[in-house]
Amino acid sequence: MSDAAGALREPWPNLQLQRQGVGLGMWMFLASEVLFFAALFCGYAVYRSFNAEAFRIASAHTEIVYGSINTVLLLTSSLTMTVALRAATVQLRGLTLFCLAATAALGAAFLVCKGLEYHEDLKQHLFPGPHFPLSPPATQMFWGFYWIMTGIHAVHLTGGILVVLLVFTLFKRRTVPVQGSTMEGVAIYWHFVDSVWLVLYPLLYLAGRP
Amino acid sequence: MSQNETRGRQRNSALTWRLWRGPGLTWLALLALFAVSLGSAYAPLGVGNLEINLFIAAIMIALLVTFLMDLKNARTIVRVVAAAGLFWTILMFALVFNDYLSRTY
Repeated sequence: MSDAAGALREPWPNLQLQRQGVGLGMWMFLASEVLFFAALFCGYAVYRSFNAEAFRIASAHTEIVYGSINTVLLLTSSLTMTVALRAATVQLRGLTLFCLAATAALGAAFLVCKGLEYHEDLKQHLFPGPHFPLSPPATQMFWGFYWIMTGIHAVHLTGGILVVLLVFTLFKRRTVPVQGSTMEGVAIYWHFVDSVWLVLYPLLYLAGRP
Repeated sequence: MSQNETRGRQRNSALTWRLWRGPGLTWLALLALFAVSLGSAYAPLGVGNLEINLFIAAIMIALLVTFLMDLKNARTIVRVVAAAGLFWTILMFALVFNDYLSRTY
């Protein structure tokens, strides 16, 4: 059995349609994910509209260096993920594996940066509760959103990294052929996690700078 | 090394270059927009700062979705599903703010 025949699954007549099917399924899942994150953004927008000054004061205390490094890391990981997908489609197995490894490494670097940033935040007691250092009290709402939004994003990214590593292993062992539809869903999901960060970055890091 | 092997390698390296070029250009555009966004955040524009930054973020997401998620080559049904998320998000924001901004207390 050739690699191409091994990649094709029931009920698809060809690989192109199979890839489109996987893409459509992933987009449906992401449409629900968009609403999940949009509810958080909407909550942020409502509370910010009533506490604009408190949100400005609070967001001035986020670590913009870590936030900016993480933005560049994720944008670069989207580049390597796109090349991984396109290389898989034209059966460049070596390039696919290299780009998948680079994507997972960039994702892991993001989490390391996030961990260092969380450490800095906690050192300054920037966690809503009794010893919160900022005033007015509404600044705690901003930091509540910060922890929930970045935490949920990090969970999504961790899931993405694990899936990328799993796919890498399956490709490496030739359990699954690279030109199948596997990469389609993985790539779309990864870009989605990146695009969520592109909204979080201005809301959490840039809002209080001037 | 045989002539066929040499040709094969040349073809692969040309293909590899083509694979990196398109996404690479999008990546450069995204980095440029990121730099503009970060720079503009320090300009004293008052309430305009967040609006500008969110507008730039929207352009960045549009670039990412169109060129890296390849929605420009996707079938209509995929575009409709992708637009559904945006549609319901707009509806949620409209209904929520319709309530909060019209309250008199």
